[in-house]
Amino acid sequence: MTNTSANWWRWLRGLQLTPRGSLPVIIRLLLLSLCILLGYTAGAAQDDLRARTSAGYVPVISGAFAYIQNTSGGVQSLVPQIVPVLLAPMGHSLLLESRVEFTGFFQRESLPSGAFSGRFAGKVYKTVDYAQLDWLADSHTTVVAGRFILPFGLYSERLAPVWIRNLQDMPLIYSIGTHPYGAADGVMVRGVAASLPSASIQYSAFVSAHCSTNELQAVRAAGGDASVFVPSKRVEAGLSYQRTLEGYQINNEAAYLSWQPVRASVDLKAEYDRNHYGDGYWIEAAHFPQQFFVAPDFFRHVQLVGRMEQFFVRNGGGNGLARVSEKRPEAGLNFQIRDDWRLESSYGRLLSQSGNSNTWNFGLTYRFVWPLWPGRKS
Amino acid sequence: MTDQVYKHWLLALAASGLCCAFLIAAAGQAVPAATGPAQAQSAATSADLGEAVFAANCARCHTPPMTLSPRITGTIVLHMRTRARLSRKDEKLLLQYLAP
Repeated sequence: MTNTSANWWRWLRGLQLTPRGSLPVIIRLLLLSLCILLGYTAGAAQDDLRARTSAGYVPVISGAFAYIQNTSGGVQSLVPQIVPVLLAPMGHSLLLESRVEFTGFFQRESLPSGAFSGRFAGKVYKTVDYAQLDWLADSHTTVVAGRFILPFGLYSERLAPVWIRNLQDMPLIYSIGTHPYGAADGVMVRGVAASLPSASIQYSAFVSAHCSTNELQAVRAAGGDASVFVPSKRVEAGLSYQRTLEGYQINNEAAYLSWQPVRASVDLKAEYDRNHYGDGYWIEAAHFPQQFFVAPDFFRHVQLVGRMEQFFVRNGGGNGLARVSEKRPEAGLNFQIRDDWRLESSYGRLLSQSGNSNTWNFGLTYRFVWPLWPGRKS
Repeated sequence: MTDQVYKHWLLALAASGLCCAFLIAAAGQAVPAATGPAQAQSAATSADLGEAVFAANCARCHTPPMTLSPRITGTIVLHMRTRARLSRKDEKLLLQYLAP
């Protein structure tokens, strides 16, 4: 008898020897049937889709590499970053996904005299952005369990990945709704409440528990997000709300707008956030000149970006926000070498009550999507 | 009955509820099989609709990838369905557009 069959036999004998009659047998059988059913429904749904498309469902390692050279207020920093994303589907209804960030932060060593030496020193920081199990329960609902990014506003969940963001500097109000960890440990329900040709309504609602485990820290909180998207106009407007349920129990609110006019290659995005410590907004426009009168093939890959943002301090600020009011106009010039490689540059001027400074960024980002093992190719 | 027995019955009830939920989810995801020339035309229309879904939803946040291996398309679309809060119908249209 092999080890596996011996274990099964022990397990079956355990069913009969359980002291409390047949009830545990029912529970065990139900759990067993649940597992079988889960495998069956997942496999059946996947096979059905496979019958109609050539799509494969092999596990994927995705993510981005980035190298950014930042100069803020005359201080130079080198910021290399690797952000792998693991996607492991289990049938068609379950997806295990996780993203980890490895960010190096290196600055010139300062000498006792106050001057900087030629050597760069620093360390690499590691954070688990999310590690979650998604159950696509039905057409309108996905249940997420584990560690997930807080569904607050437009930036943190959708625009923050290094290969997506148009300007490498985070908005001044980024900490509103994401402080201190940017992620929650708990359960989230999300999806599309109504999907019509004229408009769709999307939603998210979550609860998070307190967790102090290293790399998985989270605070007790609850909140949600709802947005309306009009496909014909490519306009999206949304609202987010979140309440911290420990320490100072504060509310965080956000309103955002996204618009990609159909006839112009312009991408407009704006967000307003507020909480007890401050409020502010950012508005960003990005443009790929599709029909430039000189060298159109070259300029099709050039992206012009502009962003204006302001932060107004309340109750002394802090909690990830500045202690004084600030504003920052910023402009960027990016070049999309291919769809996966991008050269980046930007300049911003921080106008603060505690002093003004310039911010320069130059860098390169690369995004990748690789299958983890061979699968069906066509 | 003792509390322990109640606990077991509650567990059994919860497990049955989960089974029902899976059954309902599976029924909701069932798609009728497509055969014949009429369905071929319908598939072409689906690809156009899929392109519209792609332009409206995916391109809202990031530039589109120029190439995507068919063997990983299902996984990526599954990921994007969760991220972009797409419906099952949009997911199907995207699959027909990206991996016909």
